Amino acid sequence: MAPPATAVADSLASPERPRDSRANIDIMAPTHGVQWPYFLALGAAVLGVLQALAVLLYQTYVGLGVAGYQQPVFWGVYIVTFVFWIGIGHAGTLISAILFLFRAKWRNAVNRGAEALTVFAVITAALFPILHLGRIWKLYFLIPYPNQRSLWVNFKSPLLWDVFAISTYASISIMFFYVGLIPDIAIARDRATGVKKAIYTVLALGWQGTGPQWKAHSRSVLHLSGLATPLVLSVHSIVSWDFAMSIVPGWHATIFAPYFVAGAVFGGFAMVINILIPVRRIFRLERYLTDYHFENMSRFILLTSTICGYAYAAEYFIAWYSGVEYEQTSFWLRAFGPYWVSTWCMITFNVIFPQLLWIKKLRTNLPFLFVLCLFINLGMWFERYVIIITSLSREYISGSWGLYVISPVELSVLAGSFCWFSMWFLLFLKVFPVIAITEVKELEIHARDHGGAH
Amino acid sequence: MPTLVSVFDFPSNTASAVRKLKDRGFDDLKTYSPAPFTELELAEDPKPSKVRRFTLIGGLSGVTLGFLMQIWMSLEWPIKIAGKNFASIPPFWIVGFELTILLGGFFTFFGLLIVGGLYPKRLDKHYDLRFSAEEFGVVVTCDERDVAEVEALLRAESAKEVTLADS
Repeated sequence: MAPPATAVADSLASPERPRDSRANIDIMAPTHGVQWPYFLALGAAVLGVLQALAVLLYQTYVGLGVAGYQQPVFWGVYIVTFVFWIGIGHAGTLISAILFLFRAKWRNAVNRGAEALTVFAVITAALFPILHLGRIWKLYFLIPYPNQRSLWVNFKSPLLWDVFAISTYASISIMFFYVGLIPDIAIARDRATGVKKAIYTVLALGWQGTGPQWKAHSRSVLHLSGLATPLVLSVHSIVSWDFAMSIVPGWHATIFAPYFVAGAVFGGFAMVINILIPVRRIFRLERYLTDYHFENMSRFILLTSTICGYAYAAEYFIAWYSGVEYEQTSFWLRAFGPYWVSTWCMITFNVIFPQLLWIKKLRTNLPFLFVLCLFINLGMWFERYVIIITSLSREYISGSWGLYVISPVELSVLAGSFCWFSMWFLLFLKVFPVIAITEVKELEIHARDHGGAH
Repeated sequence: MPTLVSVFDFPSNTASAVRKLKDRGFDDLKTYSPAPFTELELAEDPKPSKVRRFTLIGGLSGVTLGFLMQIWMSLEWPIKIAGKNFASIPPFWIVGFELTILLGGFFTFFGLLIVGGLYPKRLDKHYDLRFSAEEFGVVVTCDERDVAEVEALLRAESAKEVTLADS
């Protein structure tokens, strides 16, 4: 017979059982301690950001001429890189929202890293239209606000749609990221001391995992997923309309929206893999980020690579089938004109190389995946370069054709954008758990309770 | 009033204990869980969450605000663009859609804060570090005369620990 409640001592867990859960200990480990390689990497990233900042000050002072812009190309590397980073941000929402709605449980181990990647990629991307303005102090012209000139923005312009799409995407991504983090911040709060505890206490918003809290949290995640799913499809569609709404040969295509969305998911997954492979290795998270997760992401890469391949082929077919001379010339010049290297890099890296993922052994071979994804990221940058630069430099009248050469200023800012992104991701790794602890626990406890595993 | 703090290892036992306590009329209870579990949520409160109302109101406000803003601004500063009406509805769907999502998202977030009672505050007296590890807690407040019954019920559902906290 059980002893009466009054007789039960305030003893805690039985001695043979660890006081904390293994998931808490393992996943919070990267946030503790000081590792010099980490600070070396962070220092390098900060230096990269500082050099780009110095170059940008120079550009702002001298003018956009130093950015390689010259007749007829006035959308250069900044816009290429803007589209690249926006695309990278799509995998996070796909993993967090769309796979959540499909109840794909494997996402639980990778969604936090992907969400962080989304937030930092969008923050990075959002800088580029501002840098591209040249007169960055005129940024406020983009925002519809009452002013003494009674001057309003043009709501029929895709560039303005972009302003709304990107700011909505950034806001929703940050919200999604933070809502998911709240229970994990509470775990960190319960185990931290000093200043860290005070900060986590504020950020955890009094989270205790009570029934009403979990219920409100689960519904919020569900509703945010429902909102983010059409949003993620809309954002890159709207970015694609920056081009497709114009009448530039090579841009004016109805396939652009789905083509851009597939490309974004493709590039985004490649970046997730590029980041999670070293994170798993360095922080010894093999128990949580298994080969199974990487295989599933590889399948997504294979699928979206094939969609991209179809889109590339469809573009060429439509150019030929349309019978429009300008369109045909534009595509001929893409493959055999002055920018042929970027076009063939794009096709090779984005369509041909990923076909190797049909082989199961390669889908779980992490060094291979890492290298492949580096090529894919390069290929996706080239894809945007091909779309933007080749089309603009060879428009209708051959007399106004020109050649675009990337300037050192642009290369410096491009490198700075990778450093900026890396800097935020490295800071995130030290402050918050890179894997959603409560979601991992949900699977583990469920498996223990009901037997079997997911 | 006496308060019994019980600790469980599994969500199924916790949910079963909550169901039985509620069946017996012990409604003044609170659960703590390290992760979300549907069975526990259904046992404690099967009603739909009020967060959905916030999402709906936010979404509707967003689409209304989006269209009104664009129509008003286009008419306030009329410029003919591509021969279209000043207030041309089809392109306005883009910004209207984005604001639907934006306000829907913000309202959902505030709904979470309001419905979930989330704001920086002092933690419950009976909250335990173990509840953010892997254990579950059920805290029941009952009359003095019911303590033995509640305790027996909790132990019958495999509570690994039952403590009388207040009396």
